[in-house]
Amino acid sequence: MDSVLRAGAMYLALMVLFKIAGRRSLAELTTFDFVLLMMIGEATQQALLGDDFSLTNSMIVIVTLIAIDVGLSLLKQRSGWVSRLIDGEPTIIVENGKLLHQRLRHARLVEADVMEAARSSQGIEKLEEIKFAIIERNGKISIIARED
Amino acid sequence: MNEDSDNADLRSREYPICEDMTYQLKVWRFERVGWYVLVLIVLMGLMGVFSRGLLSSKDVRSEDSKVRVEYEMFHRNGSTNSMKITLSSTPDSQAELELAGQLLEGFSIDTLQPEPLRSRSSSHGIRLWLQTDLDGQATLYITLRGDGLGLYRSEISSPGTNSVNLVQFLFP
Repeated sequence: MDSVLRAGAMYLALMVLFKIAGRRSLAELTTFDFVLLMMIGEATQQALLGDDFSLTNSMIVIVTLIAIDVGLSLLKQRSGWVSRLIDGEPTIIVENGKLLHQRLRHARLVEADVMEAARSSQGIEKLEEIKFAIIERNGKISIIARED
Repeated sequence: MNEDSDNADLRSREYPICEDMTYQLKVWRFERVGWYVLVLIVLMGLMGVFSRGLLSSKDVRSEDSKVRVEYEMFHRNGSTNSMKITLSSTPDSQAELELAGQLLEGFSIDTLQPEPLRSRSSSHGIRLWLQTDLDGQATLYITLRGDGLGLYRSEISSPGTNSVNLVQFLFP
């Protein structure tokens, strides 16, 4: 019983923590972010398994985690409210070549982040060439270039 | 003017995506408040609210100062912490010590040093007999492993002395 509860509690706790961390936090993985993720994984592993390293226990934990994950995706499919709560919504941060400063500030982004995404995805050099920049639900910045 | 542009920034757009900025602002507020909570948890951890620290380490004595217990008030399930019990009694004799209450329900004793001369169960817990030194002092070091969850009240006493009451909390 406790394995299922452990896995469920850990899933919920990590989901809330990563919601607090926001969309951008680990979307663009730097080397350090990768190391940080591994450290989080190491810390989680002990709490998930406790002192029981049996095959059964690890299978129960894995099955519980996947069951919750699939269950949530089914719930998201049926309810727009749940989907919005868990995945969030995309947000526009550049509109017709102009930065929406208030939004950037709330999303903890700076102009350099937008320009980096613009360069790497569209080869754009100047802010004016961007028609729209949008923070997607997964935290990536997608860029729509001006046509002229 | 500045306020106007701020408001314009935060107005919901319809194209190229349909936004709900009221909701998005709530999400951002949640992230900010969440961050304060995380910092608070870190500070609480540093102060010892989750075991081992200023707020957790306790040193209590019975009213007549004959029994002294140093212990951790906050424990975590599955981890070990030490407890030190010092007893004052007649020099070079056997002193009796009783561990009673919920201590043995919430914790398992990993080690007990030095080994008591005798031990037996009692109606409330266990009784141990320790050898005092020439100054009449006997010290017992216990390693406790947290097994349970929640609040545990226990009592450590020796016949003829006032008892020491312990309150311990076990985190999951």
